[in-house]
Amino acid sequence: MTMADEETQSALRKRVVTLEQISEEAQRTIDELRSRDELKTQFLSNISHDLRTPLAAIITHAEILWDGMLGELNKKQGDSVKGILSGGHQLLDMIDEILTYVRSASDQIDLVRTHFSLPDLVDQVRVLNQALAARKHLTIERLNGDDLPSIYADRDKIMHVLGNLIGNAIKFTNDGGRIWIAFSRIGNDADIVRVEVGDTGRGIARNHHEMIFREFAQVDASPSRPHHGTGLGLAIARKLVELHSGSIWVESELGKGSRFFFTLPLNPAAD
Amino acid sequence: MAARILIVEDSPLIVDAFRVLFTDAGYEVDAATTVAEAVERGAKTRADVMLLDLSLPDGNGLEIMHALRERDALPRVTLAMTGHNDARARRNCMDAGCADVLLKPVPIAELLRQIELHLA
Repeated sequence: MTMADEETQSALRKRVVTLEQISEEAQRTIDELRSRDELKTQFLSNISHDLRTPLAAIITHAEILWDGMLGELNKKQGDSVKGILSGGHQLLDMIDEILTYVRSASDQIDLVRTHFSLPDLVDQVRVLNQALAARKHLTIERLNGDDLPSIYADRDKIMHVLGNLIGNAIKFTNDGGRIWIAFSRIGNDADIVRVEVGDTGRGIARNHHEMIFREFAQVDASPSRPHHGTGLGLAIARKLVELHSGSIWVESELGKGSRFFFTLPLNPAAD
Repeated sequence: MAARILIVEDSPLIVDAFRVLFTDAGYEVDAATTVAEAVERGAKTRADVMLLDLSLPDGNGLEIMHALRERDALPRVTLAMTGHNDARARRNCMDAGCADVLLKPVPIAELLRQIELHLA
């Protein structure tokens, strides 16, 4: 072995040692980040659970008053109690969203599949959101789907996804706008249903299309933003759709409305 | 005679709210905040309805059902209450003999309706 060879080998050995050290350090950092992420998830889970209990008591007390069980309320008292109930339920929805996220992040969600009609479910979610939409003079239409066969999926989870997409459409569409839901069959044997939730709202810039499906991401995250929320809704929707072996995405441009799509296999057992 | 409701719930805030609700609706109300206390009270005077929170400081609420069954003091109706809409927890409750599993906070009209329905 020549002197030059020995020098090269020694340099290589040093390089290998350095790389090993870097790799070990990277692994340590990853482990630490993972452990911190677990701590964060656990914290969110505990705090959400702890917040839920007194809130449930507040809501129950307000319902007792609202129902007139402790005496008839006059109009002003009634309006005030109604305000407590409405704020309480809004807070409860946000806490539940955090709990659902925590459970989905730690893979604690089981699918309970049944056969059901997707268009009927859409109609149910439309009815639930009708009052909210009417306040902004928005229309929510289902464009088709009467001939869609039943789907084998977790009804509650799909209802959650639809509720989230329609709720967002209501939130981000100006007065007098339009929201629609449409179905199409795709895949080689038309065995996948693609659900579209569209709106004539403000739209989403292209560079935000990926980001909005990430946890805690909000296009406007400033404290003064007009629309408040946990920033978890679409991340949960994505997780729930993916649990069904489907995918979710958005097509949108600023000022030109948004079209959210998600796919679901109609009969996953036959896949 | 008024039907007797045993509230098993570790949050005094929730117990207070339920006390107001059920007393006003004409029920006789008792409450326990732990598994041990619930077994003791439930065995002493058999309840018609037990409203059962699943997570208690000294164990799982379903343990109360096993203990009361052994003492032949199981309430006529047990309604479990949980904060999670979890299919597995629901199955466990139904397997243990609960009449239904309600998601907290249960709207009061729904809660009173369920109790009347199961007692009928």
